[in-house]
Amino acid sequence: MRRVSKFAVACTVTAALAFTATACGDSSTEDTGSDKDQMKIGMAYDVGGRGDNSFNDSAARGLDKAKAEFDAETKELTAKSGETPADRETRLQSLAEGGFNPVVAVGFAYKDAIDKIAPKYPDVSFGLVDSVAEAKNVANIVFTEEQGSYLAGVAAALKSKDGQIGFIGGVDLPLIKKFAAGFQQGVLETNPKAKVQIQYLSTGSDLSGFGSPDKGKAAAKGMLDKGADVVFAAAGGSGAGSIEAVAGKPGAWSIGVDSDQAKDPALSKYAATILTSVVKNVDAGVYDLSKSVHDGKPLTGTQAYSLAKDGVSLTTTGDHLKDIQAKLDEAKKKIVDGTIKVKTTL
Amino acid sequence: MKKFDKERLLLGIAAPLLAIVVAFLVTALVLAATGKAPFNAFGIMFDYGLKADSQVYILNKGTTYYLAGLAVAVGFRMNLFNIGVDGQYRLAAFFAAALGGALTLPGALQIPLIILTAMIVGAMWAGIAGVLKVTRGVSEVVSTIMLNAIATAIIGYLLQQGRLGHLDEAGTKISTTPLPESSRFFEFPTTPTPVWGFIVVAVVAGVAYWFALARTRFGFDLRTVGQSGSAAEASGVDVKKMVVTSMLISGAMAGLIGMPTLLNDSFEYSGDFPVGIGFTGIAIALLGRNHPVGIALGALLWAFLERGTGKLEFEGYDKEIVGVIQGVIVLCVVIAYEVVRRYGLKRQQSKVGAELAAQAARNSDQQEVSA
Amino acid sequence: MANHDIDITVSRGTVHALVGENGAGKSTLMKILYGMQKPDEGTIAVDGEQVSFGNPGDAIARGIGMVHQHFMLADYLTVLENVVLGSEKLYGIGDRARARIREISDAYGLGVRPDAMVEDLGVADRQRVEILKVLYRGARTLILDEPTAVLVPQEVDALFDNLRELKAEGLTVIFISHKLGEVLSVADEITVIRRGTTVGTADPAHTTTKQLAELMVGSELPSPETRESTVTDVPMLTVDDLRLTATDPDGVVRAVLDGVSFTIHKGEVLGIAGVEGNGQSELVDAIMGMRPLDTGVLTLDGADISRTATRKRREGGMAVIPEDRHRHGLLLEAPLWENRILGHVTERPNSKGAFLDLKAARADTERIVREYDVRTPGIEVTAASLSGGNQQKLIVGREMSHSPRLLIAAHPTRGVDVGAQAQIWDQIREARREGLAVLLISADLDELIGLSDTLRVMYRGRLVADADPATITPEELGSAMTGAAGGHLAAPAGADDTRAVNDPDGGEDR
Repeated sequence: MRRVSKFAVACTVTAALAFTATACGDSSTEDTGSDKDQMKIGMAYDVGGRGDNSFNDSAARGLDKAKAEFDAETKELTAKSGETPADRETRLQSLAEGGFNPVVAVGFAYKDAIDKIAPKYPDVSFGLVDSVAEAKNVANIVFTEEQGSYLAGVAAALKSKDGQIGFIGGVDLPLIKKFAAGFQQGVLETNPKAKVQIQYLSTGSDLSGFGSPDKGKAAAKGMLDKGADVVFAAAGGSGAGSIEAVAGKPGAWSIGVDSDQAKDPALSKYAATILTSVVKNVDAGVYDLSKSVHDGKPLTGTQAYSLAKDGVSLTTTGDHLKDIQAKLDEAKKKIVDGTIKVKTTL
Repeated sequence: MKKFDKERLLLGIAAPLLAIVVAFLVTALVLAATGKAPFNAFGIMFDYGLKADSQVYILNKGTTYYLAGLAVAVGFRMNLFNIGVDGQYRLAAFFAAALGGALTLPGALQIPLIILTAMIVGAMWAGIAGVLKVTRGVSEVVSTIMLNAIATAIIGYLLQQGRLGHLDEAGTKISTTPLPESSRFFEFPTTPTPVWGFIVVAVVAGVAYWFALARTRFGFDLRTVGQSGSAAEASGVDVKKMVVTSMLISGAMAGLIGMPTLLNDSFEYSGDFPVGIGFTGIAIALLGRNHPVGIALGALLWAFLERGTGKLEFEGYDKEIVGVIQGVIVLCVVIAYEVVRRYGLKRQQSKVGAELAAQAARNSDQQEVSA
Repeated sequence: MANHDIDITVSRGTVHALVGENGAGKSTLMKILYGMQKPDEGTIAVDGEQVSFGNPGDAIARGIGMVHQHFMLADYLTVLENVVLGSEKLYGIGDRARARIREISDAYGLGVRPDAMVEDLGVADRQRVEILKVLYRGARTLILDEPTAVLVPQEVDALFDNLRELKAEGLTVIFISHKLGEVLSVADEITVIRRGTTVGTADPAHTTTKQLAELMVGSELPSPETRESTVTDVPMLTVDDLRLTATDPDGVVRAVLDGVSFTIHKGEVLGIAGVEGNGQSELVDAIMGMRPLDTGVLTLDGADISRTATRKRREGGMAVIPEDRHRHGLLLEAPLWENRILGHVTERPNSKGAFLDLKAARADTERIVREYDVRTPGIEVTAASLSGGNQQKLIVGREMSHSPRLLIAAHPTRGVDVGAQAQIWDQIREARREGLAVLLISADLDELIGLSDTLRVMYRGRLVADADPATITPEELGSAMTGAAGGHLAAPAGADDTRAVNDPDGGEDR
């Protein structure tokens, strides 16, 4: 009995010591030590964060540019998988509380959090990428992925020999479906006899389709075997597998996404078979918002980064598009002037 | 006689405490190795974790974790490893959200209906694993893991526009139809942020769990199976029936996990509904020794650590550090429990021997107690 | 207390047999010799030098190795890998080890192929691998625990040839068995153990199986012979043409119980004798309802219970003292009062309706502890902290507390000290007087003869013989248990001839 008590007491004391030793510095108010003159930009990334070679990285590039230009202090926080809405709210709140302005939320998952937090900090400018929130102090940075994809579809239809074209989506999210819809429309309006095979690598909350090059490779192989000669993979990291598979079939083209994949160090060896990449310039959105805040005229409302504003575009690395550039420009013009309406859903 | 109870309690507390202390020490070493001051980090966490809004956060998050811990613990008490709590709660929350979004009944009717739907869906999904185990001998570990994947696929299929999904204006987020205002669960108007009313349900669930296990025949049977399947069978427990029943209960409890988030926070099921809480529940049930109070403490600790992470990341620490703490705690807990359990058992045996010897000497009885 | 006052001397270069009934203390002795258990007192000397073994490693270092009854081989490894596992330092894990294995195998004629997969080997080959494993580690003394139990006669002969080879090379073999014929054919010396003590040694050249059997079971008849019969003619349990099959790992369906029929009347103790593993456990399981019957009818006090669930049978007055109390009778890590509830959770005083009545259960546990003399400091201690005898007393007390009509007592006094044993016997007798029907299964022939009103012998799942406990001797019973005798074992079945009438069907109630 006594030995047990001693044992337990020892544990309790150790624990108590550990706890008290750490509970020093009794501060109740947040002292951020903010320098009024210096600009502070807060970033809340989606799952993956900086270094995902895709969407978040693109936002990070915009942040880096703004940081260099305005000599800004930055803070980058990243979402974890398995979060609740409350966690995202906390993240935005701590940035706003910490004196960061603007606070950029990367990814549509932040929409509800922005709805709740933005009205509480009317003096802070918030940026919301890929979604639309109502609050007055929010700039909704949205992209017309479908327009960029439409152009990719036009290019694919023109380059394909027999009109067999493939689309690989990472996950069957609405966002990816926008890519699919625009791409399919672009193909079919250029060559009505063409056929587009659409395949998603995973569904719903299983986001593995964005990070499985093996799945991308297998899907692309399957499409190539069925006769496809142009494959567009809007599938994050899985796209690398697709590009690799396509490079193995003579005469076939691949189309990349998010960044110029022909310049990606890991994929540049396949540059000869990468027709183009559909680029979504999140960096421009982040930079523009930072600049507007810096200039004292913060952007608000929906900022559509459309084809017209070069918010989405096709890359021309390797000059594979030269022979069809005229037709692409024509299509672009029609989209910009509204002659062509690109669908956002299939 | 009572002192044995007291001793048990002390031993029971000693293990998790030991584990937590060791875990913090290990973390301190890790922090020191990365060139950061460990105590400063803990200081930040505790400072921040004790603020009012942090307390609210911890209570809210702890509510979810507590229910997850209970769901797993029901299985654990039977030696059933319900890995599928994760799939069960997601599927349950999804169907509950879909039903809740489709109906507009008065809240007093609709809220219980939503909760009941979630419990039934969770129970059915877990029940599949239970039935497979007793009829086909499929290990519940394997079947529940697979059912998790199937649940993900089912939700992925149904959460589409034109099925049960509903696309937002920006065209990027798909979710079930949001619940009507009337279906929102009440909140405690605390400042600065409210405490979710669902904490009441969690407390009720905890009390029910305790009562069922400790005070009913059913609970006794369940514990018997958990302690010794062979003894349970010989004592007349229908082990197969118990397996199915406890999987159903575990699944129904799992159905509740998504409810605080659904009824107090998100009001809809979308692609970003929290995932992986079932696995957190396993850690918490281990930490709390399957005891309702222990699980509560484990859940709060877990929430506290997560609250602390955000702040640590904000202060420039690697956010992975809390992952390290959590992992080390679970490891330490498993080891500490086993060490303390063996120690306690041995101690009791030798103590009983000693007491009997003393008793025998007092009675100067010639009868000898065999070893 | 399993063993006391064991004296045994084994000479080098001999095969020394250790014989005794089940539970006589052979395995405990062997565990002590192999360092798996420590003796409370006494000494062990090897080559004249006193030694003390803390663990099997110490024993191996002294050249003592053990071949277990249940093989300890990894199926999916080769023979070589199994042999070197844990002794990689001796000859490495490659060709040197392979060469050494061949060398040992050739030297003793074991015929072991180092690269064969263990899963492809038969039982006898596996046993030879086990022997080789021990020799590989440098053992000069081998302990073989019931090595013939798993072998067919031809394999037994081959094993004995191997043992003779070992002996010829100067190695010592300690051979544990209860098969007297085998012992006489292979052993150079025999030591007999009974009730945990050595009762004598025998020279195989001048001993018959009968003499050995007498030494083994002892000639003393059981203590208090209360032979006043309490048997009534009211049947309590009738078992009619019971058949139970089991599928063994090879997928062969085998009858473990076949054509078993008997009746136990109120106030009657029916004893079942038999070498363990001949269907007794299965019989208990079947009567308790833990295994579904293939055919047959069970009737308890006039009610057909053939398909009734175990719990209902227990509520109907069936009490059980299980063969393996740790597996079937107790929750070792639960307090005594919870163990008191075990098996009777639906009955008073343990519960009221769906709820437990902890207060009443605790109070009644106190009563059992008092009345059945369970030595414990309290009812909150775990069952594991009690001695075997006290655990058994708790079980007996619990089972007797629900006014049973039928008691199934499987080895009720196994592993129980002498004081508790007498107490348990008394309790069974007393309950019998009050009209309890008892099915008694025991390996202790004295217990069987002393307590039973009727005796049956079980052999390979059948009841092959019956006997009157008033006239039967343990030797006669023993020979019937090995299948050598059947039918009604009439009193003195020939003074010199233990072979009784071989009539397998004669003794069954049809």
